[in-house]
Amino acid sequence: MTNAHGHATRALTGDPAASLGLMAGWRRRALTFGAVFTILAIVLVVLAEVMEHDKFLHLLTSWLMGAMLCWGFSLGGLALLMVQYCSGGKWGLLIRRPLEAMSRTLWVSALMFLPILIFMKKIYLWARYSNPTDVAQALERGLIDKAQAHALNWKHPMLSPASVWVQIVICFVIWFGYMFLMNRWSLQRDADPQPNVPFWQKRFENISGFGIVVYSLTLTALVIDLVMSTNITWFSTMYGLAYLVAQGYAVLALSVITVVSLSKAEPMKTILRTTEQHDLGKLMFAFVMLNIYLNFSQFLIIWSGNSPEEISWYLDRIRGHWGVIFTFDFIFHWLIPFSLLLSRDIKRNKRRIVMVGMWMVFARCWDMFLLIEPNFSPRNLHFSIGILEYIAVPGAMISFWVVAYIGQLGKRPLVQTNDPHLAEILEAEHAHA
Amino acid sequence: MATRDLSTNDPMLDPITGEVVVIAPGHSFKSVTEKISRIVLTAHTPVGWFFGLLVAGGVVMLLLTCLTWLFLKGVGIWGLDIPVGWGFAIVNFVWWIGIGHAGTLISAILLLFKQTWRNSINRFAEAMTIFAVVCAGMFPLIHVGRPWLGYWLFPYPNSMSVWPQFRSPLLWDVFAVSTYATISVVFWYIGMIPDLGTLRDRAKTPVGQYFFGLLALGWRGSVRHWMRYETASLLLAGLATPLVLSVHTVISFDFAVAIIPGWHTTIFPPYFVAGAVYSGFAMVITLAIPIRKFYHLEDLITIRHLDNMGKVMLTTGLIVAYGYGMELFMSWYSASHWEYFAFWNRLFGPMGWSYWVLITCNIALPQFLWSRYVRTHVGLMFIMSIIVNTGMWFERFVIVVTSLYRDYLPSSWGTYRATRWDYGTFIGTLGLFTFLFFLFIRFLPMIPMSELRVLLPQSKVKHLPEAAHEAGD
Repeated sequence: MTNAHGHATRALTGDPAASLGLMAGWRRRALTFGAVFTILAIVLVVLAEVMEHDKFLHLLTSWLMGAMLCWGFSLGGLALLMVQYCSGGKWGLLIRRPLEAMSRTLWVSALMFLPILIFMKKIYLWARYSNPTDVAQALERGLIDKAQAHALNWKHPMLSPASVWVQIVICFVIWFGYMFLMNRWSLQRDADPQPNVPFWQKRFENISGFGIVVYSLTLTALVIDLVMSTNITWFSTMYGLAYLVAQGYAVLALSVITVVSLSKAEPMKTILRTTEQHDLGKLMFAFVMLNIYLNFSQFLIIWSGNSPEEISWYLDRIRGHWGVIFTFDFIFHWLIPFSLLLSRDIKRNKRRIVMVGMWMVFARCWDMFLLIEPNFSPRNLHFSIGILEYIAVPGAMISFWVVAYIGQLGKRPLVQTNDPHLAEILEAEHAHA
Repeated sequence: MATRDLSTNDPMLDPITGEVVVIAPGHSFKSVTEKISRIVLTAHTPVGWFFGLLVAGGVVMLLLTCLTWLFLKGVGIWGLDIPVGWGFAIVNFVWWIGIGHAGTLISAILLLFKQTWRNSINRFAEAMTIFAVVCAGMFPLIHVGRPWLGYWLFPYPNSMSVWPQFRSPLLWDVFAVSTYATISVVFWYIGMIPDLGTLRDRAKTPVGQYFFGLLALGWRGSVRHWMRYETASLLLAGLATPLVLSVHTVISFDFAVAIIPGWHTTIFPPYFVAGAVYSGFAMVITLAIPIRKFYHLEDLITIRHLDNMGKVMLTTGLIVAYGYGMELFMSWYSASHWEYFAFWNRLFGPMGWSYWVLITCNIALPQFLWSRYVRTHVGLMFIMSIIVNTGMWFERFVIVVTSLYRDYLPSSWGTYRATRWDYGTFIGTLGLFTFLFFLFIRFLPMIPMSELRVLLPQSKVKHLPEAAHEAGD
């Protein structure tokens, strides 16, 4: 068979329902993991309360970690969806439906943020001392130092409970709007009996181009509010951008895991060619490099400047046992995926690239732990039951998020049939590709 | 422009992407080769070329005059004084290095991303990179005061026990820029070999045959040659890609590792890189538009190229805008008096005008690039490229000068005023750049013929029966 360009083609044959069977299995597994982690989390929380009088601090901070990770997949999925519409290319067709499914789990992330917002006084200094009188009293009682008091008063217009609520609500309204339109138009494009390629292309480009700008700004605002502000005095202009890239790092890894795992059955079995899998592997490599580039640059500049306002953030992560976590973060986040993804064979091998993808998701979780917990236990990391909650709570949250994600993924055909790149992907692979 | 009126049957539109096609229809392998090689091999040099070379050469004379006076009198002829010890020389250095980035991005990163539209513009963008690096490299050399001792910048064993400071980003600059220049030249030259072979074969004069033959390194166009050529290109692209990031990152460290408010900020590395690509693409457009008009290359450097370059400029411009925004926001969020003052001074101080020029040129006006009409309008794109180049020069001016002239102690505050020698040297490098570029477009193929042929429909791999049918079997 040949296509309009005279190229040999393959056809989408086989039973697409086979993918649903695969997904049902994953969903069951995720539910089981979720249940196990939930039981473990409950046990750990109770033990931490009884034995360590934790006052639910670790539950809330580990919940913050889980919420940020799940939100990262939801919003990052939406962002990468917009990026692939703007950049074009065949790889976009492969991961589009997984990205759409991720974006449709935004409501799960929104729900996960509720406990953080409700119990924000337990986590954030700015919520605990939300007016100058409280700040002055806390300073008098030695609960905060002068630098913290100054920062709390100075940043009050942005970092106060009411202001943060408003910011987060606005951000989610915007993201829900984009999510709704992107997903709706995608279905409409599928249903278009005579698809006008330039029209749909421009339509998605137009919404996505501006959407990426909006995403960058709103993401920066949210991560400053919820993560960076866990250390009230620290600041870094790179933070939002570094967070954005790290989010892309994890989302891309999850997309590759999904697509390659789905290629055991139709239709992914036909449309995932080794060439495009290799391209996705190269894109993962690019994200690995970009991620270390931003993080290392931030580290080098702050380390060289060595000013007390900034260096404390790194000292809190290097001193004592935190140094081990910090070193492993470098190894997990960069060295291992970098070394593995250099290999052409690994990028073209289905089983191995899935393993690398899983490793990258794990590395992102590790990194998130390093971003959050040292702000609550600076100077040294002490083993405690509370610390173990960082495994159980995010584990449970991510498992249930995966259940929602797989559920959304199964709701739509895995391939967008009206995308003109489909014809290219269905061409036989050339030896030089 | 999401409209239903976009036609799917327009021959200028790609049916896959809906974009304007990369090369206008109607070309064959032969026509592409003839059109490009004729510019180099013709015996009739256009009068306009001579005129342009003459004007550029005149400006080079200005540069030579400024440099001669500088060597006679020293850097005191410039506007440098306490507290602004870095002035035009560093501003120009960073600006020129940034200009060069587009060449490497187009030749390396866009190659790895399989962006075939780059094929029409990569050669002269690479040439632009090299000439920009020549202009950039000159400034640190003349800034050291005694350029004949410039080799002290390199770490070499010597009897004086003079050893550079390895912790200084200025030394990292030496390595970064020299590596960048080397890779850029090698990439440019290797990419040109197939075309040099074509010119050798088509040259009518013995001199042309000899020189192009010498430069073609025995290229025969065999399958083995092509295979090695492709492998070398990919390897060089892989090597050059980190360089796109590293060079301007290292340059950003020149400022960011210091603790001066306005310099010490972590966003500098990515924002410098984005800014470099931004200005580099602006310069590619500044050069491409007159060239395509003068040599009637509108069918090879099409509206699609302008459109895509406009999109790259818009994207990088927005990253730069994000950088400005974060700097400004963090100057408040930091709760640091010094940071806050540095930016207040940048916006509303005696030199605040330069900041607003920068914002107007780099952020406000380029927002017109959201419009497809602007991106595909030749005249407007040319104006836009000049605006962005101006804005990017002012960005470096703002960073260097407005951060230095009012630092921590009001008693040490001062001002900065460039002299005629500062302006003369900068304008002179513009002349040098243009002069070299004129020589390049006359004596070497400015558009890669071999890579352009790949874009033609005839070069697509066909299914065997179809190809046999076309061949008349």
